[in-house]
Amino acid sequence: MAEKSFDVVVLGGGPGGYTAAIRAAQLGMKTGIIERDRLGGVCLNWGCIPTKALLKNAEVLQTFRRGEEWGISYDNLKVDFGKIIKRSRVVSEKIVKGVEYLMRKNKIEHIPGYGVLLGNGAIEIRAEGKPDEKVTAKHIVVATGARPRTIPGVPIDRKRVISSTEAMSLTDQPKSMIVIGAGAIGIEFAYFYNAVGTKVTVVEMMPSILPVEDAELTKMMEASLKKQGIEILTQAKVESVNPGSNDVTVTVTAADGKKELKGDVALMAIGVQGNVENFGLEKLGVTVERGHVRVDSDYRTNIPGVYAIGDVIGPPWLAHVASAEGVHCIEAIAGKKPAAIDYSSIPGCTYCQPQIASVGLTEEKAKAEGYELKIGRFPFRPLGKAVAIGEAEGMVKLIFDAKYGELLGAHIMGAEATEMIHELVMAKKLETTGKEIFHTIHAHPTLSEAVMEAAAAAYGEAINI
Amino acid sequence: MARIEVVMPQMGESIAEGTIVKWHKKVGDRVKKDETLLEISTDKVDSEIPSPAAGVLAEIVVPEQKTVAVRTVIAYLEAEGGAVAAEASRPTVPSAMETPKPIAMAPAPISAAPAITPLAAPASGRFYSPLVLNIAREEGIAMNELELIPGTGEGGRASKKDILAYVAAKKSGAIAAPSSPSVSKATSAGILAKPVDVPELRGKYPAPDFEILQMSNVLQKMAEHMVKSVATSPHVAAIHEVDMTNVVKHRGAHAIEFEKKEGFKLTFTPYIVEAVSRAIKKYPLVNTSIEGDKIIKKNFINIGIAVASENGLIVPVIKNAEEKNFLGLARAVNDLATRTRAKKLTPDDIQGGTFTISNYGVFGTMIGTPIINQPQVAIIGTGAIKKRVVVIDDAIAIRSMAYFTMSFDHRIVDGALGGMFLEEVVQYLQNFDINLKF
Ligand SMILES: Cc1cc2nc3c(=O)[nH]c(=O)nc-3n(C[C@H](O)[C@H](O)[C@H](O)COP(=O)(O)OP(=O)(O)OC[C@H]3O[C@@H](n4cnc5c(N)ncnc54)[C@H](O)[C@@H]3O)c2cc1C
Repeated sequence: MAEKSFDVVVLGGGPGGYTAAIRAAQLGMKTGIIERDRLGGVCLNWGCIPTKALLKNAEVLQTFRRGEEWGISYDNLKVDFGKIIKRSRVVSEKIVKGVEYLMRKNKIEHIPGYGVLLGNGAIEIRAEGKPDEKVTAKHIVVATGARPRTIPGVPIDRKRVISSTEAMSLTDQPKSMIVIGAGAIGIEFAYFYNAVGTKVTVVEMMPSILPVEDAELTKMMEASLKKQGIEILTQAKVESVNPGSNDVTVTVTAADGKKELKGDVALMAIGVQGNVENFGLEKLGVTVERGHVRVDSDYRTNIPGVYAIGDVIGPPWLAHVASAEGVHCIEAIAGKKPAAIDYSSIPGCTYCQPQIASVGLTEEKAKAEGYELKIGRFPFRPLGKAVAIGEAEGMVKLIFDAKYGELLGAHIMGAEATEMIHELVMAKKLETTGKEIFHTIHAHPTLSEAVMEAAAAAYGEAINI
Repeated sequence: MARIEVVMPQMGESIAEGTIVKWHKKVGDRVKKDETLLEISTDKVDSEIPSPAAGVLAEIVVPEQKTVAVRTVIAYLEAEGGAVAAEASRPTVPSAMETPKPIAMAPAPISAAPAITPLAAPASGRFYSPLVLNIAREEGIAMNELELIPGTGEGGRASKKDILAYVAAKKSGAIAAPSSPSVSKATSAGILAKPVDVPELRGKYPAPDFEILQMSNVLQKMAEHMVKSVATSPHVAAIHEVDMTNVVKHRGAHAIEFEKKEGFKLTFTPYIVEAVSRAIKKYPLVNTSIEGDKIIKKNFINIGIAVASENGLIVPVIKNAEEKNFLGLARAVNDLATRTRAKKLTPDDIQGGTFTISNYGVFGTMIGTPIINQPQVAIIGTGAIKKRVVVIDDAIAIRSMAYFTMSFDHRIVDGALGGMFLEEVVQYLQNFDINLKF
C-alpha cells in the first residue's frame, strides 16, 4: 500500500488536536488527524461538555427547589437519574458530530486508529480489523491529552473506585460518594451528586477547596457548598482506599485525627497525567519530564518536526489552552511568528453554583511576587439585578498593582461568573488599568456592574455601596 | 510642608527635551502659585513656566543652559500650607503651539491627586496600552522614547514586558535615553525657525522690512558643529571628475528586476558607498580621528549619509560597511532612508560614523565643498550626474559625468593621500562591471 504523505498530521482529536488540524487546513496545509477513539477528545466526550450538561440538571433542580420563593409550588418533584445521564450523552454526541463535520468541511483526513510514531515523519496507524497503515508528515503535532491520575497503590476499579469518566456514565445513582480531590472536577461532581440527592463528602489535602483560586473566595465557596449539604474535609490526607463488595472505605488523617469514611463509591479526582507512553515518544527520544512532553514557546519538542500541545504538555489542563496552543503551534510552523501565549491571562472556571471564575494572580500569589496591591471588592448583594434574579450570593474581587495600576488578577464568585470573567481577561490581555475598567460604562441592571464597581472600589470610588 | 517635584514639562507632541534658559527664582526665594518660576527653550518654542504651587524654591536640580529630557525633575518646591497641588508645571502655552493631546486625564487637575501628566500622542500611530502609558509616565519615558522601544506583543505592539525590559536596561545603563540633540532632530516634527519678537532687535531691524526668527535647537546645534569643524580642521578640497556611465547603465539594466525582487528602488547611493568603503580599505588613514597628538584608527567602516530632512540636516550611519556586499549595502541604505522618512531612527542609527558622504547632487549642484563631520577627517560630496561631451581616446563621446569633491583634514590627510583616495573611488565607479549580478 502506498504511503500517504501530509504536511501536518495531528495525533489525537481533542480540542487541542482538532483545532490545530483546522488551522493547518485553513493555512493550506495538507492535514490528517489520527484518533483512536471519538473525535473531540476528553473535552467533548468525557470532560467539559458532558459535565456541563449534568451541572445544568443540578442547577434546574436547585431552582425548582426554591420554587416557593417565586410563588411556584408543586408536589412530587422527582429526579430520573438515568435520563439525566442520557441527556448528557446526547449533548456530547451532538457536539462530537459537529467536530466530524468540521473535519469534512476543512478537507482534513480523519484517520481512525492508534497512531505510533516511527521517526523521520512516519506514523503507523493500528486499527482493529484493518491492516496497519503508514503515513508520513513533514510536521507531527502530538495532542494525545491526559488521563485521570490516581493515588499510588489505589487502582481505579471502575466499580467502587471510579474516575470522572465513570462518574458521568453511572447507570445507578450512588447513595453516597466520597470525592477525593477538591479541584474543579471534584467540586463540580460533588455539587452535581449532592444536588441530585447523593450524600457527598469531599476530601482535600490542601487547606482549602479549589486550591488554585483566591482564598477569600474559596472560603465563601466552601461555606456555600456546605450550606447545600456537602461535607468538606480540608487538610485531610487519604491514607488508604479499600473497596468492598458493596461499598468503599476511605481512611483519612485530618487535623482532628484519623477518620474512616464509607461510601457507595469513591471518585478519584486528584488530577490528570499526560498520555506519553506507548506511541513512540521514547523511541524518538522526545524529552518527557514528570509525565509531560517538554516543548518551547512555539511548542516544538527537542526532535525536529515533532510538536506537542494541550494536556500532554502539562498544566494548565484546560481545553481552551489546548486549542490556543494548537493554533499557535500551526501558525509558528507556517512561519507566521505568532506572539507567545500569555499564560498569565488564561481564565479558569468552575461551573457549580455559585460559580467561580478567575484570571491572573490570586491575592496570596501577588503578595508573594512582591507586588504592592490595590484591591477592589464588590459583592453581588447590593446589585439590583442580583436581587431581582435571586442570585445575591457572590463577589467580584480585582487585584491591581499599586505602582503601575496593572490588573494582576480578577476573581468572581457567583451566578454567571464564568461568563462575566471575560471582560477582565480582555482587560488584562490588553493591559488596561482599573481606571479604564470603571470608566467603561456597564449596562444596568447586570451582574457585570459588580466588575465596574469593584474596579472603582480599588480607587475608593465605588458608588452603590 | 510637602516637597513638590517640578519637572521639565512636555511642550508639545514629539518634544523630547528642553533647555533651561533662566531661573527667575533663587533657592530660598518665595514663589506664588502661577508666578513665573523659570524660562525654558525647546526645539519648537520658548516658554515661561509658572510655579505649580505656592512655596519656597528648595532646590534647583538642573542649572541654566542645561538640556534635559521632558519629565526630568528640575527643581523641588517646599509647598506652603496643607493644600498641595502636586501637579507638575503646566505653562501657559503660546497660541501658535500645538497643545499636547491628553490621554489619561484632563489637564490641570486641582485636587491633591498624584500628578498625571498626559504623554504626547504617538506620532507613529502605534497603539500603547493604558498600562504601558502608565509605566512610561511613572518611569519618565517620553513618547518619542517610547516610540523606539521594540514591541513583541500582538502585531508588534510594545507590551508591558517590552517597556519593563527597556526600563530595566536603562536603569542598568545598558541603553542611554535618546536625549542627545541629534535625536530630537531625527524625531521632532515641525519648522526649523519660528518668528519671535525681540524688542532690542526691533529698533535695529524694523518690521515689515525685517523678520526676526528664533533659531531652533537643531539649527543652533548645526551652527555650533559647523563652526567647530571649520575651526578644528584645516579643510582642503580636491575635486575630481567621474564618469558614471557604467553605473548609470548598470542601474538602468537592473532597476526593475531589483525592485521586484527586493521591494525597494535601486539608487546610486549604494554604488558610491561601496566605492568609498573599498577605497577606505586601501587607504585606512582617512578612516581616523585625531585626539591631541594621537591618531585614532578605526578598524570598522561606518559610513554616514547626509540627508536633508524637514527638521534639518541628519546623518544616519551605515554600520560595518566593510562587511556588506553590494546588496547588503543597498538594503542598509534603503532601511535607513525609510526609517529617516518615517522618523523611526534610533539614537544608535546616527552615531558612530567614521566617514561621511553628502549627495548635494540631488539639488542639481555640480560642485560643492562639504564641511567635515567631526571628529571624522574626510567627507565626499557628490555632484549631479549630467550627460556631457567628453574626449575618450581622441574621440568625442557622450558620457554621464559628475564631479566629486573630497574635503579632508590636512592635519592628517595630505594632498597626495586625499588625491589618491579620491582617485580610487573614481576608478571603481568608472570601471564598474556592468554585468555584475547581485
Ligand atoms: C471531567 C472533566 C471535566 C473537564 N472540564 C473542563 C472544563 O470545564 N473546561 C476546560 O477547559 N477543561 C475541562 N477539562 C479538561 C479538558 O477536557 C482538557 O484540558 C482537554 O480535553 C485537553 O485537550 P487535548 O486536546 O490536549 O487532549 P484530549 O482532549 O485528552 O484529547 C486527546 C485525544 O488523543 C487521543 N489519543 C491519545 N493517544 C493517541 C494515539 N496514540 N493515537 C490516536 N489517538 C490518541 C485520545 O483518544 C483523545 O481523544 C475537563 C476534564 C475532565 C476530565
